[in-house]
Amino acid sequence: MTLLEAPAAPERPRAKNEGQLERATERRNRRTYLALLLPGLLGLLVSFVFPLAYMVRMSFNQGSPDGVIVETFTLDTYIQPLTDPYYWKVTLDTFQMGVTVGVLCVLVSYPVALFLARSTSKYRGLLIAIAIAPLLTSAVVRTYGWMVILGTNGLVNSSLTGLGLIDTPLKLTNNMAGVTIGLVEIFMPYAILAMISGFGRLSPQLEEAAGSLGASKFKVFTRVTLPLCLPGLLTAFLLVFVLSISTFITPRLLGGGSVQVLATEIYDQTTGLLNWPFAAALSVILLVLFGLIIAVYQRLTRKIGG
Amino acid sequence: MTESKLSIVDLTKRYAAGLEPAVDRLNMEVEEGHLVALLGPSGCGKTTTLRMVAGLMDPTAGSIVVDGKEITHTPVNKRGMGMVFQSYALFPHMNVEQNVAFGLEMRQVPKAQQKARVAAALDMVQLGHLGKRQTKELSGGQQQRIALARALVVEPTLLLLDEPLSNLDAKLRETMRTEIRSIQQRTRATTLFVTHDQDEALDMADRIAVMNGGLIEQFGSPTEVYERPRTHFVANFIGQANFLDARVGAETGRANLAGESYYRVEVEGLGQFGAVGSAGLAGTTHELVIRPHRLGVSLAPGPGPAPLAGTIERVSYTGDALAVAVRVGEKLLQAQMPTISGDLPRVGDAAYLSWAPEDAYLLPAPGAVAERLAA
Repeated sequence: MTLLEAPAAPERPRAKNEGQLERATERRNRRTYLALLLPGLLGLLVSFVFPLAYMVRMSFNQGSPDGVIVETFTLDTYIQPLTDPYYWKVTLDTFQMGVTVGVLCVLVSYPVALFLARSTSKYRGLLIAIAIAPLLTSAVVRTYGWMVILGTNGLVNSSLTGLGLIDTPLKLTNNMAGVTIGLVEIFMPYAILAMISGFGRLSPQLEEAAGSLGASKFKVFTRVTLPLCLPGLLTAFLLVFVLSISTFITPRLLGGGSVQVLATEIYDQTTGLLNWPFAAALSVILLVLFGLIIAVYQRLTRKIGG
Repeated sequence: MTESKLSIVDLTKRYAAGLEPAVDRLNMEVEEGHLVALLGPSGCGKTTTLRMVAGLMDPTAGSIVVDGKEITHTPVNKRGMGMVFQSYALFPHMNVEQNVAFGLEMRQVPKAQQKARVAAALDMVQLGHLGKRQTKELSGGQQQRIALARALVVEPTLLLLDEPLSNLDAKLRETMRTEIRSIQQRTRATTLFVTHDQDEALDMADRIAVMNGGLIEQFGSPTEVYERPRTHFVANFIGQANFLDARVGAETGRANLAGESYYRVEVEGLGQFGAVGSAGLAGTTHELVIRPHRLGVSLAPGPGPAPLAGTIERVSYTGDALAVAVRVGEKLLQAQMPTISGDLPRVGDAAYLSWAPEDAYLLPAPGAVAERLAA
């Protein structure tokens, strides 16, 4: 999965009479490329392709409650999640959480990213570093932080009751609302980074040109700035979506057991029930979800010419 | 379409307090239908001036008046001007037609009328057949023309061009020069044109404002700034020039209807010559300007009035002309001669220089920047 496409190599003009020499050079070049790619490819093979293949194979095995895995080829592991309404709900909740977190995260990150992308200040580098500095603390620590802030006696509730705005504390933890708030904040740095690199076509001159042609500030934004930002916004959404449907820590901790998504379900199946084939099947379903959203993303980016 | 006339009054831009102003109390009047070039080296304030007229930058002081209406603080989108940017600034997410229609759309022109006007504008720049193309598929020259069509289709009060030709190669630049000029004359759009290329300015403009250090050194027609430069800077920036310090002697007669006089001048180390300059210079010291191609060069002492004898020190052949540097005493003078198919003069050959009094011009002023520094 490549989020940021590499720029296409410029095509070299080719003269017919240099064909022979050209072909020899090309062969040599191709060998060099292969040699350079080899370590990376090997690494991917060992750490990604083999485990993935192993997992897919595992999903067709027969699990049992006592943890014994029977090597076989069965579709039972898929039939259960696809027929049981509980797993339908978990899958839909997962998808919905991914979309909600993705949209909210893009919305709150966009102003920051737009500001950073357009900044000509000499402190721009420092500001970007500050924006992504939360990555220096782990998601676990930040999730605990959110539990403290959002809890029944946390900062938010005590301020609101103290101000007399509410009588009973809001329920902001141990539910999807808390998980969503936590995930949005945790993934903001990724969204901001993805956007800044995706705003390449934005230029102050285009906005000035639109202004000189009679566009108000609002029109400049809706007709020029926003359309040019779309590729970056889409990339950021995709990234946050993928990260949030595959994350386990935050839904588990902030959800307090009452939020079940595919990732927490896989964890329970793997470590609690020791039903690895079933966990593997759920993982494959999660992968299909990835694939679906990436297909949509690619169609969209092609459409808007990103 | 072009009722407009632009006056710039004491326009000043200071980027930060304490810094030298980028534009310093600039004054200019632009006649309706004229193409005015703002010409100068980079950093002279020409682009800053243009951006203030466009409304893309707030002036520190002074005012801008278009059609008798003060617009100094009118926002850019209410000025109704058309601007062509150095990078063309075509919207990459719109095709050619959508780009050109943008200004009309912002003015809420009815769709049918938009279509007709876009088609007419594209025909004007001879790209009517490319309407559905994406802008990135176009060559630099085509993008340039689309940008021009986009700026002109709204029938702007002023057309503003910011170095529109600097991203094109030399051959195309010349074609576009003629084309922009002819479109400008057909539409009679009053135009401000920023350039650092003196040939462009001389070729295209009705008036040239030669800028230096945030000031206009001279504002005049191409012939005026070339033939009658007001300052050393102008003479040096526009075309090539030989400069000689001259003691101005007696007036020898009226030169022309403009009230200029002929003088006897003395140049140290070279002798006495005839020159032309504004009235009343007798008894002062002024700089003498002689254009290289107005210096007569002969390889044998001719019959003319007491030519200067010298030695050729450098020869530079450009095909259609031969530039020679001739050493006369301590002075090195640049001259030009037509190329001939026979033997060309070589370094070390003797050369004889002469000029007509009307080709040796006495500069009237030391220069605006020098004046400011002295003040």
